[in-house]
Amino acid sequence: MNHKNLIILRKTIQIIFFFIFILTIAVAVYPFKAYFFTKLFLIIDPLNAIGTQTATGRFNPIMLLSLPLLLSPILFGRAFCGWICPLGTTIDLTDNILNKRHIKTIKIRRVKYFLLILFLLLSTLGFQLFWLLDPLPIIWRSFAIIIFPIAYTLVYGFVELFINVGILPDFFSRVNEAISNTFFSPHPPTASGIFLPLVIFLLILSGSFISKRFWCKNLCPLGALLGIIARWSLLRRHVVTSQCTACSLCDQTCKMDAIYDDFTSTNTSECIICLNCTTTCPTYSTEFKFSPPTKVKQEANLTRRSLIFAGIISLLGAGFLKLTAKGKENDRLIRPPGAVTEEDFNDLCIRCGECIRVCSTSGGCLQPGITGMGIAGLMTPRADYHLGYCEYECNLCGQICPTEAIQKLKLKEKKRYKMGTAIIQKDRCIPYRLNDNCIVCEEHCPIPEKAIKLDEKKIFSSFYNSEIIVKYPYVIPELCIGCGICENKCPVEGEPGIIVIKEGEERIKI
Amino acid sequence: MDRRHFIKNSLLLTGSVFFNLNNLLPESGIPELVLVKNGNPEQMTIKAIELLGGIKRFINKRDVVFIKPNMSWDRSVEYAANTHPLIVKAVIEACFSAGAKKVIVADRTCQEARRCYKNSGIQEVTKKAGATVLFVRENQFVSVSIPEGEVLKSWEFYRPALEADKYINIPILKHHNLAGLTIGFKNIMGILGGNRGRIHRDFNRKIVDLNRVIKPTLTIIDATRILTAHGPSGGNLKDVIKAQTIIAGTDRVLTEAWAIRIFGADPSDFPLIKLAHSAGMGKSDTKKHKPLTYTFQK
Repeated sequence: MNHKNLIILRKTIQIIFFFIFILTIAVAVYPFKAYFFTKLFLIIDPLNAIGTQTATGRFNPIMLLSLPLLLSPILFGRAFCGWICPLGTTIDLTDNILNKRHIKTIKIRRVKYFLLILFLLLSTLGFQLFWLLDPLPIIWRSFAIIIFPIAYTLVYGFVELFINVGILPDFFSRVNEAISNTFFSPHPPTASGIFLPLVIFLLILSGSFISKRFWCKNLCPLGALLGIIARWSLLRRHVVTSQCTACSLCDQTCKMDAIYDDFTSTNTSECIICLNCTTTCPTYSTEFKFSPPTKVKQEANLTRRSLIFAGIISLLGAGFLKLTAKGKENDRLIRPPGAVTEEDFNDLCIRCGECIRVCSTSGGCLQPGITGMGIAGLMTPRADYHLGYCEYECNLCGQICPTEAIQKLKLKEKKRYKMGTAIIQKDRCIPYRLNDNCIVCEEHCPIPEKAIKLDEKKIFSSFYNSEIIVKYPYVIPELCIGCGICENKCPVEGEPGIIVIKEGEERIKI
Repeated sequence: MDRRHFIKNSLLLTGSVFFNLNNLLPESGIPELVLVKNGNPEQMTIKAIELLGGIKRFINKRDVVFIKPNMSWDRSVEYAANTHPLIVKAVIEACFSAGAKKVIVADRTCQEARRCYKNSGIQEVTKKAGATVLFVRENQFVSVSIPEGEVLKSWEFYRPALEADKYINIPILKHHNLAGLTIGFKNIMGILGGNRGRIHRDFNRKIVDLNRVIKPTLTIIDATRILTAHGPSGGNLKDVIKAQTIIAGTDRVLTEAWAIRIFGADPSDFPLIKLAHSAGMGKSDTKKHKPLTYTFQK
């Protein structure tokens, strides 16, 4: 196979994996049961495995599935970054569009090792922060809870417009039903708290303005981890020195700035085996071969000074997080059903957005939290009963969580699992405020025995100018599971007449 | 109402019907109200339509028919929170046999729409029968003014329901803590937009006003099994009794009143019946107007 074909092969594989990645998001919806498949790109991630397990100090065998990727650099170097990583593929795309002039960033590429060490130290101190920079959760959540919903809202809007204006209404109705009945809910998803994940995603992509693969070579901690092992990669670039004319074309075409000044030796910790250099070489003297590592000069990844610096920062950071972890107790912080205890939850949650995505096609209550959960809990999923509620017959978030931060509950267990307790706001609730009937909360309560009961009182109503029986709702905390459908459906506009607080919430101890 | 009560009531009812059979038929000879019992839901529906004079009496060739079952809840058939799918199936098939161009089935659900459509079992049979299942979307509501409305002067209604040539209401008879029972009149909730919880204040008059907008061609009430408590969503099989009855008719007030009687209650206790009657929507006296009853032999 000649070099050009190899690049076509690489691009094809990138597209295939990107397509599979999109599919893992697409099928993370209510009617499908491909739970394992949806987690594919997250359980192979060694950073998730290392981060969650060192932070919680517990071993979960499912994390062994990340070993192949962790060990892959011994054979293939950082080929994962160049051929498979969906964030890498996305960056290749934005590079093609946005990058006008490639600026080399060799001097700052050590930063990624620094970040890796820093986050590893923080994990050992009990704070898993890899979610901030781990590419796989980042790309999953960016597509699942930002790009997908926006795309759907747009498609939905246009399709509805066509139907209403009368352009091929039958065809577009069918399109509409097909989309909304497979990969989305019939209702356009609503979102709160996606601002921070959006900013992180845009910042990463904006690296394209400076340099190609800016993120991958300078910041990505997964790239750093794979890069450390890729130092001994068997697959590596070879240049027939006698044929090299030192024309520097390979160096100019290298996205990762992985080619040293002599143009013949390569930094295998940086090389992502994109093969671009093989085609630009005018003398065809460059190729990739499996061979034992030769002695080439390798720059130091981290100086002793920066190691000490990382140590100090991680200690300070851990102290800071510890201090801010217990703020004012937030009684409105409702966690998904089956969530482990708060501290472990923050450590196990990789902010991939799986639960939020699948919930948006069911009850739609889970949203990434921004305020009221401390810095250590940023972007973890919380139930927002303004936007949705927890479907009684649904246990999908636990089925789909890749790190078991939300434990798998059987449907039977989930229906008894207590997320919180509803309390009535008597100054807003219609019966208490207006002496008139409402019962919407009672009507929607999914508990077979009804956790909301009605207290009947005969009163004289001047509104009806007669005696009427008013039914005043009250909550039986022992029956209430805090699913929030009462809060969501309460007809009082704005702040509802019944809200769910976390009082009595069950949390699973691991 | 407990099981014993129910059996007693239905026995009494059958008896009374048996002896008064002659007064039942209006002058045309076609009854306006039928009660079918003891069959399977599909059989009973087919029989009820047949007794009412056949589907061709209601559906013309090339009609667009909107069918409004109750499929508001994420509950399976046995919980009696949603209309029995086989009734919906029988009605769709009847409509097509009369030459209907299109049959639409939709409901604005209380829980996530796909869960309700799927787990109620209605989506599957509906699709198989060749009807169109629509998910109700926010921007398909149009504001309709209700000039003769007593308390509501306008509300948002689901456009496909308004635009259809014929509207068939297929509610299920079940317990409801505000209305007492929820039957055909309240089933209109499923084609309403806006903040429906707001309707609950001054409920009866509002529901009557809303029903002024759409007059069902035919009302078929599912009493094959009845949710007797913890309605409208239920969830407890202990609250469900088997009744194997279908009430069908062209007079929506009379069908409603008779459904109340089937449940074992007195229609005159329900302000809704009185209000609907005085609004000129139909007859309310169940003592005077009795259904033609047909009982399947086991």
